[in-house]
Amino acid sequence: MAIPSANNPILSAKNLCVESLGGKESFPVLTDLNFSLEPGKILGLVGESGAGKSMIGRTISQYLPNGFSVTKGTLAFDGEDLVTMAAERRRNLLGRDIAFIPQEPLSGLNPVLTVGQQMKEHLLRIGLAAGENWRERALKEFEAVHLPHGAALLEKYPHQLSGGMCQRILIAMAFASRPRLLIADEPTTALDVTIQARIVKLIAEMQKRDGTAVIFITHDLRLASQISDEIMVLYAGRPAERGPAKQLFSAPAHPYTRCLQLANPNISGPRRGLFILPERMPGLRVLKELKGCRFASRCPNAIEACTETEPPLADIGPNHIAACIRTEKTPDIVPPPLAPGREIASTRIHLNGEKLTKAYTTAWSPFAKRSAFKAVNSVDFTLGEGEFVGIVGESGSGKSSLARLVVGLDTPTDGRITLAGRDVTANGRSEKAYRRQYIQMVFQDPQSALNPRRRIGSIVTQANEASGLHTGARERMDRAAELLKEIGLPPDAAMRFPSQLSGGQKQRVNIARALCTLPRILVADEIVSGLDVSVQAQLLDLLLKLRDEHGFSMLFISHDLSVVRYLCDRVLVMYRGEVVENGETETVFADPRHPYTRSLLAAVPPDDVNTEWSPVAAEAGYQIE
Amino acid sequence: MRMFATIAKLLVKRVLTAIPILLIVSALLFCILRILPVDPAAMSLPPNATVQEVEAMRAEMGLNLPLYQQYGIWLNKLFHGDIGRSIHFRQDVTSLIGSTLPATIELAVIAMGVATVFGLAGGLFLFYVRGTRAEAAMDFLSILLLSLPEFLWSLFLLLIFGVFFEVLPFTGRLSPGFERPVVTGFLLLDSLITGKIPTFLNALEHMILPCLALGIALSPSLMRVLRSSLLDAYQDDYIQQARLRGLSEKRILIRHGLKNAILPTLSLMGVQFGFLFGGTLLVEIIYSYPGMGNLMVDAIRNADLPIIQGAGLTYCIAVLVISIVVDSLYLILNPKLRVR
Amino acid sequence: MRPLPLWLKSGRVQTGLVIIFILAVCAIFAPYLAPNDPNEQNLLSILTPPIWADGGDAMFPLGTDSLGRCVLSRLIFGARVALTVAFSASIGAMIIGAFFAHVAGYFGGWVDWLIGRVVEIWLSFPPVILSLILMVGLGTGLRNVVLAIVLVDWTRFCRVLRSEVIVLRRRDYVSAAQLVGFSHWRTITREILPGTLPLLITLMSLEMGVAIIVEAILSFVGMSVGSETAAWGQMIADARQNIYDAPFNLIAPIFAIFFAVFGFNILGDGLRRTLDTRLTQTERT
Ligand SMILES: Nc1ncnc2c1ncn2[C@@H]1O[C@H](COP(=O)(O)OP(=O)(O)OP(=O)(O)O)[C@@H](O)[C@H]1O
Ligand code: SF4
Ligand SMILES: [Mg+2]
Repeated sequence: MAIPSANNPILSAKNLCVESLGGKESFPVLTDLNFSLEPGKILGLVGESGAGKSMIGRTISQYLPNGFSVTKGTLAFDGEDLVTMAAERRRNLLGRDIAFIPQEPLSGLNPVLTVGQQMKEHLLRIGLAAGENWRERALKEFEAVHLPHGAALLEKYPHQLSGGMCQRILIAMAFASRPRLLIADEPTTALDVTIQARIVKLIAEMQKRDGTAVIFITHDLRLASQISDEIMVLYAGRPAERGPAKQLFSAPAHPYTRCLQLANPNISGPRRGLFILPERMPGLRVLKELKGCRFASRCPNAIEACTETEPPLADIGPNHIAACIRTEKTPDIVPPPLAPGREIASTRIHLNGEKLTKAYTTAWSPFAKRSAFKAVNSVDFTLGEGEFVGIVGESGSGKSSLARLVVGLDTPTDGRITLAGRDVTANGRSEKAYRRQYIQMVFQDPQSALNPRRRIGSIVTQANEASGLHTGARERMDRAAELLKEIGLPPDAAMRFPSQLSGGQKQRVNIARALCTLPRILVADEIVSGLDVSVQAQLLDLLLKLRDEHGFSMLFISHDLSVVRYLCDRVLVMYRGEVVENGETETVFADPRHPYTRSLLAAVPPDDVNTEWSPVAAEAGYQIE
Repeated sequence: MRMFATIAKLLVKRVLTAIPILLIVSALLFCILRILPVDPAAMSLPPNATVQEVEAMRAEMGLNLPLYQQYGIWLNKLFHGDIGRSIHFRQDVTSLIGSTLPATIELAVIAMGVATVFGLAGGLFLFYVRGTRAEAAMDFLSILLLSLPEFLWSLFLLLIFGVFFEVLPFTGRLSPGFERPVVTGFLLLDSLITGKIPTFLNALEHMILPCLALGIALSPSLMRVLRSSLLDAYQDDYIQQARLRGLSEKRILIRHGLKNAILPTLSLMGVQFGFLFGGTLLVEIIYSYPGMGNLMVDAIRNADLPIIQGAGLTYCIAVLVISIVVDSLYLILNPKLRVR
Repeated sequence: MRPLPLWLKSGRVQTGLVIIFILAVCAIFAPYLAPNDPNEQNLLSILTPPIWADGGDAMFPLGTDSLGRCVLSRLIFGARVALTVAFSASIGAMIIGAFFAHVAGYFGGWVDWLIGRVVEIWLSFPPVILSLILMVGLGTGLRNVVLAIVLVDWTRFCRVLRSEVIVLRRRDYVSAAQLVGFSHWRTITREILPGTLPLLITLMSLEMGVAIIVEAILSFVGMSVGSETAAWGQMIADARQNIYDAPFNLIAPIFAIFFAVFGFNILGDGLRRTLDTRLTQTERT
């Protein structure tokens, strides 16, 4: 099974198993992992959350969470088993021969030490500098990752820098020792799209310079296929498919890979429907009992035989293996047809914002003058009946602030909002009551949006508790059952607490609460970010279905352009508090007028592996850093 | 250089905000003590004084005026360094406080040192044994210690080392027969300056029990905060990242963990040290230590208002000074506040 | 039968509750439990040692003090003062502190600023000093002791709860409640209070220990209940005069205070762990 190669692999796993101890039982976290990585190659590790991607990185460093251990197999770095190696020897390799790049660049650097102090510590440890000449060396490393003003940077603390700069510094540190292996665990997830593209390019550039082997962990198959030589798709702790990146992406052999690909909306070409992967990946407890293929419960191609024995990883082409007994049927999986294009029933305008401005001021104090910062600056927009309007822009561009103005959580400092013919700018008691009949909001983070001490049934019908709407307990329970049915949760969920639901289920509850009073407008702030693509597809589909039933319109905030393209009729592009482009989604995406929109679009990895991905350098004036 | 500017700015700001605080505190002190059932005029006259004499005295002391005018007069005098005269001791309050304050400061400062050492060492130890069986035991022990306030510690140490084993003295600042050198008012300092080593050692002996009592009583809360802040810090990515760069655990603890965890501990110290300064009062009484606490309690027993007001205000100033010092330290150690 | 709630399963909570129960029984049934009248002076048998020492007297199991009063009886009756103060003062301080904390944290702005400054002024008084001064102003007596402790310690609640309220205030579910039309009052009581409740209960349990200590301190310096009521602090003050002759008279009330405070502390710690609250320390900026 191992890929024959002339070179000695730098990292190779043989039958690697990792288990976690829960109570008296142990559960498989990684099962029979086999792979080898040659010097200078990039291996993309792809999978949904909980598939075990990060666990591989942690196994390499052997800093496993409590109760986790390698129970079988070997993981050899340059021929030496990392698992059985003496801790001191392994520590010696870390930072020198094996380097890591973290997911959260801002928290990856110590907040109380300057960048220089941290760089110095690292350079001195790996013996690249002695005494005072660390400074020169550090500047040289900074230059390599295209960090300008290196000398000034040395004196800075992490909180003074942007996420992208912190990530560059961490990359400079990682590559300072010319490591032979680099593990990058979702290195761009926390960053804006435009920065993400450049960081990925930078990693590739550095990797080429030093001939480093890279394990690139990501949940984004499209991104992985752009950067990697080889891709391994993990499903529930076991590889589902492994093969050369281009081949795997253009002709996936395993149904899971195919489904993942089709669950993600496309950014170019005609829009297509999303493949809805039902349910979720089986949990550890279920996995332990499971007999046949672990994907069987969600697989569109599953047959009786699939549930009998675990399909082996079989060769299906040069260097290409997949764990499926019916790979020949995989190409038959096609996306459902796109929901028929709705006609916008009337041209009535629901919501209208004119020159909306919101300036945030510093905390109240009788002594200090309050300084103001315009998070939203003179924004004009409209939302018609039944229309879905997307708002895109980088972090801090004022998307959420605009949403808060629209729903009335904040009052604009300037401008006008009209809602169904009435001016609601003042946002007083009566405006709020009026607004409530029309608008509700779905919040971004389900963790923070659902009161952990309320039951689901009480959360979704919370509106009935508000003054003037009191209804009996019976009616509330009936309404809750109705709502849960609409959003596709079992009726018994009503008695559960939010902590007993998965992220996707929580987000459904979040939607149900907003729908309780049948608003005409929904404002949704990043409601699918941070969720797995399969869950994202389920939710997008749910929103479309609900629109067909209730006919509401929506302001949909997202940083993911392909999602906005799939869902929205029109799009607003925001940059530093202002709307820089506004138009029909298809028109804007096909022919972006504003340079900022162009750089946003160029930053998305293309759908086709053979298309060159060239995130354009943002034009002057729209430089992010 | 920039650091000094920021700290100077903080100092100026804190001192400026301390002024209204002190004004309000003094007004409060004044009001609370004016509703007292005792009549300061009658108190300052011999018991056989006539009603006329008392009335005359009241007029002289300004007690007939409306309350706010009385406060105005009192405040005006305060600005001129005159807090009034003790009725009981028949002495200026300023000089009474001046002669007792150094003793209290000496006690408090050494106790703070003791608390810091025990608190940090204990916190590190608690953190070190995390996840082991010893942790549960140590944790339990720290709650036990937390339940013993300085008041009980003082009595406890006094019983053990003073009464049962008779190894340490437990009354006053010096044994009889020692002459007290007076230069700055700080006994330990003065005896060193004047080169009286035996006096110094004797005074030191007298300090051991009170300082231990105060310091030990405060340390468990510091230990627990340091431990939990260290645990918090170790949840953060940068610790994991430092490990992945291959740094040694010792280095990670000192340079990365402790440097972050010290911040919440420090901000707790600011509050706790203020409490500790108040705690000296009891310790002074128990060890008959001639500081401001004993002065205050004597004054309370004799309803000696000028002293109560003066000493109360002095305690507040001390607390404010402590909190300004701790805040400056916090500023030095926390770059997030220092640089934008 | 319903299973025990999680917090009741904790050994710490159980230990604390048992200790408090013992104290409560002592306090409530003091007249039946105490072998003697706590104020009766037996001038013929002063400073008798406890029963196990030479010269112990079965009439006075823990001996007598310098006025010939039964130490055990005074300890048992002393629990009355201690517990009364513990419960009423902590409830009072909790109500005031929690009220201002929620108002400040929820509304922010100048309200928060004002409450913050008041707390700052309070904190510039060491608690011992402030309670002494208050007692001077208010005069002795059980009611005034409780009042003084409430007036001193409400800031403990206010400070800690306020930062918790601010954390919860930023949660989206609070915004969601406002959007469906909850009034401020309803948002605070239905959405925020349930979140701060665990911390509040924990703080209250700790505050009871603090109240016992403060009462002991006040009665130690003679500024608490009058001398006709038995109180632990007073017993310590009395015993200090005869420290060489009858050290046990000093040890007994020390232990009683320690025992009670430990009970409340271990209960508080157990609650903190099981109710999953972070006892955030003061946020200083
Ligand atoms: N309550 C507030 N007080 C002060 N500044 C704020 C406040 N809310 C937002 N801001 C600032 O306003 C700017 C716009 O923030 P906003 O949350 O609207 O951005 P966003 O586009 O939604 O970003 P993201 O993609 O990260 O959600 C940011 O610089 C943010 O720091
Ligand atoms: S083996 Fe069967 S169930 Fe598993 S992926 Fe292949 S077709 Fe689907
Ligand atoms: Mg946002």
